[in-house]
Amino acid sequence: MKSDQNNSWSNSFRYMQKILRESGPAAAASYSLIGAILLLGGLGYFLDKYLNTRPWLLLVGLFLGLAVGFYELIKVVFGSPKK
Amino acid sequence: MSTAAEQSHTAGGSVLDQVGENIIRHVSNSSLDHPLIQLPNIWGIDLSVSKHVLMLWIVAVLVACSVIIPIRKYLQQDKPQPKGWMNVIEAVVKFIRDSIVKPNIGPKFTDTWAPMILTFFFFILFANGIGLLPIFDILGAFNRFILDIPAAPPGVEDHNFINSLLHGGATVTGNFNVTAALAMITFFAIMVAGSRAHGFINHWKNLAPHGLAWPVYIILIPIEIIGMFVKPFALTMRLAANMTGGHIAILAILSFMAIFAEMFHSTMAGMGVALFSVPLAAAISGLEIIVVLVQTYVFTLLSAVFIGMAINVHH
Repeated sequence: MKSDQNNSWSNSFRYMQKILRESGPAAAASYSLIGAILLLGGLGYFLDKYLNTRPWLLLVGLFLGLAVGFYELIKVVFGSPKK
Repeated sequence: MSTAAEQSHTAGGSVLDQVGENIIRHVSNSSLDHPLIQLPNIWGIDLSVSKHVLMLWIVAVLVACSVIIPIRKYLQQDKPQPKGWMNVIEAVVKFIRDSIVKPNIGPKFTDTWAPMILTFFFFILFANGIGLLPIFDILGAFNRFILDIPAAPPGVEDHNFINSLLHGGATVTGNFNVTAALAMITFFAIMVAGSRAHGFINHWKNLAPHGLAWPVYIILIPIEIIGMFVKPFALTMRLAANMTGGHIAILAILSFMAIFAEMFHSTMAGMGVALFSVPLAAAISGLEIIVVLVQTYVFTLLSAVFIGMAINVHH
């Protein structure tokens, strides 16, 4: 009984490790997507404030952020996974 | 910021006006006008010790005492056999190495980068965890009821160490400067990793995929360069925002008591809300424990993934 329990514990742990291993790049891509939009949008917002060009740089920043974020995402999704 | 809060205290403004300021005061760094230890400026950098700096030191000492020193002692033994606490450390180290570093960075460079990832893990874990302990709030209650050291009136230089300890939050990783510094380490680690694996020039060439028509590169190279900065930025924001957000939620739910008591002009209303908000705050504190672990894990995982991306280039 005890060894059985140990086995299921180690099995579930191993399974968790497997899932975590596979989720790493996906997590990286999703966080880069959000991060890119936030960083470039924020940069555009503050540049707008300094240069009084509202709202153009904010828009440019947001779209550039989208482009960069999706590029990172695409790289993960379509990149050849090492097997 | 703290002077504004003090003024509203003395002006006797409504609770609703004070709640927001108090919450921000509890999660942000202590006021720069009243640092814990006043130190001179060097090259225009204020070296004064604020509360978050003090907490950084406490975290560093804790990590040293509970991780570094036991491991050193353990390695000095003739026949190392993990016992007690060492078992825990070994399990964590093995988990980080085998399920974070090895699959993402690759077996060749595992031993090169595992120490850095582990340092990240332990430091962030301890910093996040300490932020959950209300040490200073207990110190404040102790002061209020037993020591009875009065706060300095507004406008007067506050040199009372205990009172200045009460300002500001204890979660170091809730400060964007700290997480930015951590992410900067990752940023440079990515470059060093790429340079070590492929050579300095090749690392930069690897940024964009090879063998495309030249007009594509005009778009691709700026995007890749921006992406280089986006990665550490995402790390910075995610960790700090997560650590701050949970604390704000707990404080906001707890301050319902004061708000309701004032709105209905009765203590009973406040106590009635306490029946709802104290269990909820306790539940969120429990959730925070998970958040602490997950955020620590995600930071180390993403660092490993980013470093691995520079090493295992596959376009």
